[in-house]
Parts: sequence; C-alpha cells; structure tokens
Amino acid sequence: MSFGSPYTTLPDFEYHRPANLEELLGLMKQYGDDAKLMGGGVGLIAFMKERLMSPTHVVDVKEVKEFKQLTHVQGKGLSIGAAVTLSELLEDVVLKKDYAVLHEALARVADPMIRRRATLVGNLCEAIPWVDSPPALIALDAAVDIAGPEGRRSVPVGSFIRGPVDIDLGPSEIVTALEIPHHKGAEGAFEKFTGGSEFSLASVAVVVSNGGRRRDARVVYGAVNSTPIRSADVEEAIRDGITPGSARKAADIASQKVECVDDVLATAAYRKHLLKVITTKVLRRMMAR
Amino acid sequence: MREISVKVNGRIRKRNIKDNELLLDFLREKLEVRSVKAACWRGECGLCTVMVDGSLVKSCLVLAVEADGREVKTVEGITDDGELAPIQKAFVNHGAAQCGFCTPAWVLATHELLKVNPHPTDADLVEATSGLVCRCGTYNQIREAVAEVSRAGTHGQTKASLARA
Repeated sequence: MSFGSPYTTLPDFEYHRPANLEELLGLMKQYGDDAKLMGGGVGLIAFMKERLMSPTHVVDVKEVKEFKQLTHVQGKGLSIGAAVTLSELLEDVVLKKDYAVLHEALARVADPMIRRRATLVGNLCEAIPWVDSPPALIALDAAVDIAGPEGRRSVPVGSFIRGPVDIDLGPSEIVTALEIPHHKGAEGAFEKFTGGSEFSLASVAVVVSNGGRRRDARVVYGAVNSTPIRSADVEEAIRDGITPGSARKAADIASQKVECVDDVLATAAYRKHLLKVITTKVLRRMMAR
Repeated sequence: MREISVKVNGRIRKRNIKDNELLLDFLREKLEVRSVKAACWRGECGLCTVMVDGSLVKSCLVLAVEADGREVKTVEGITDDGELAPIQKAFVNHGAAQCGFCTPAWVLATHELLKVNPHPTDADLVEATSGLVCRCGTYNQIREAVAEVSRAGTHGQTKASLARA
C-alpha cells in the first residue's frame, strides 16, 4: 500500500512484547493513545512508513499466549484468537468446510508471504473499507471480543466498524478474539473485483441456510461504501432459492439499491455496475454446487 | 538501543539495533547481506523475502527486534557445502535471470516451494510466488527451472545424502 510517501524508515518508538493478557492490559492502560497494537505488522508498518501513524509505543501481541488459539466448539462455533494468522486459518479444514465464505475471502488476500504474517483481527481492526474480511465476518454474524480496564464486552462486527479507520475500541482496550457462530448446514461464497490492485473495488459475501422452504440468507457488500452494507432486498430476492431467475433479480436489485460512493479507487457508477457482475458471479457459483 | 542475537545462515550474529529498525535494514546494513534487496519497502515486490524460523516473509514488513533469538535464512543459506542447490543450477541452465536483481528472492522462494511440494503444478507455482515480481519478465524461464528440478526429483539431494546412498 503506497500513497507516495518518501519514507522507507519508521518513526521512533519503543517496542513491547507482552507474554500474556494481563501484561498487555497493563501496557495499554499505561500508554493508551500513545500506543499502537501490532499483530502481523503488515498494516501498522505500512501506515508508519506513510507517517499516517507515529505511535511512541508499539505493542506486539503475537506472543500473548491466549491470542494464539483457534478453537472449534462442536455445534457452537469458532473462536479465533487475536494473533491467529490468515495462513493458519486457511490451513484449517473445518473453516474451509463450514465457514466457506470466510475461507474464500481470505484465500485471495494479498499473497502467501503476507498471509503468514497478517492476522484476521489485525485485518479487521484496520477498518480499511476496501479489505475483504469484514463482509465475510458480518455475513457469518461474527462478534468481536474486547477486553479493557472496565472488563470484557462483545460487539457484532457490523457495529464494531464505525467508518473508515474508525472502530468501536477505546484507547486502553484490546480485541482478544473473534467469535463466529456455527451455521448448521449453511452454504457460503465470496466474490470480489479488484481491477488488479490489492484492494477490492466491490465485494460480496453470501451465507444461505439450508433448512426449510424459506431460507435464511445473509448478503453483505464490501468496498463500495465507507462500511460494509447488508442488503435485506437482495436477501429477500434469493430467500426462496437460488435459481437463474432469482439470481438475475438479485443482481439487478443489488445494483439499484446498494448505496455506492466515489473514492480514489472507483466511481459510484462503476461500483453499481460491479455489484451486478459480482452478485451474478457469486450466485451462479453457488447454484452450480 | 538494544542488543539482538539472530542466527543468520547458521551463524549467530549480535548487533545493537533501534526498536524501529526493519529486519531488511538490519540484514543489509548491519550484516551486509546484500542479496536481500530493498526495492518497494511496502511488501509489494517481495524482493526482500527471507525465511524466519522456517517461514517465508517479506523483511520490509518485519521489525529487526522481532527476529531476536530466531533463525533467518537468505539465499546464501541454501547452498550445499559451497555447491549450488539443484534449483540454483536450474536457474543457470534456463537463463532464469535477466538483470538478476530479483533472483535471490525467486531462488529462495522456489527452493522452499519444492521442499514442501516437490512436484508443483503451474497453479501451485503461481500461487506460491504471487508475492514476488520480476520486472524483466523471466517468469517462463523460472517456470522451466522449477519444472526441471521437479522432473529430475533432485530437490533436497545434498552431497551428504548422495554419499549415504
């Protein structure tokens, strides 16, 4: 990611590597606004090179032992610690099978070397509108576990992201894990258009439950606005099943109803067109299964 | 300043560093390992790729202090007792270098790919090296070099293992 900064070095800071949650909370209580949390560092180091961030303390969470856990609880869901990398997630067979929408989103993030460093929680906390994990997590109804001086709380991913580079997290708080409920028998898929850059110009995450005649559908669009957008209209269009007809209708509705913005990457009009394309692609792929 | 100790290509190296120093700068400037190239500084070109504790990473996105107590391998670390590794010989055979600037990263990355996947498909190769660029466009020759080692099955053969056999 480059916005043309001339810097190749990093601003001065003091580096900390707490070994457990208690130590980490202590550091964040002490330094608060002067500190930045670092997972894989992929985003933070890039931001620091651009001088978009110049923290005086960098707190590395990779060695916090509670954060390294990736836990499946049978029938309940998946808990992803804050230091779990994208590669670790992609190697997880249950994630691939039961949380396909997230697996597909992560498989196309950056490249294998970056994915060995980048963490899912870090990717989410950057809250860059053009990244791919938030729509997939919202489609799966994921929640963010937060710890801080006032104790613990949990927030749905959809409200955790408040805007571009703006999240619901206090200066002394930290995200400890992501919790994803198990959607029994659900099917999911992810599609994006990047135009060759590392960022998406438009993305879509779909999760459809398998039970009953009227299916429960969650459709979330990313990268077209400042925060991901869940579309009840598109969900309604595919609720009776994904067919060539309902897919066509859903694609038209997405293009008409989902609000898009102009920004440095694309115009709103182009994004409207992309919504139609990616909605068609993702639903056709789900139909073919 | 703090002192870190990093095992680089089998040798323990100790140096004083600042907390904000990149692993890339530590290797190039402090240890003079110049095969690790500094080009984009943004994690995009992959030419600063090294192994840290057995895992390929881009050293412009890693702090030097993070490597304290760990093991780093660069392209110099893959030669076998002074002799070129099979993938290095294959790069020579197929002219898989034009200007040569990106070659150390490509050699290291393809060497490691062959280690975990001795017979990679074209798709495996493209995926594994999707974080690397070659502005001269030697991709075809690199593919041929990897295919040669895959066909010959010589990857991982060392003088010692051949002597045993």
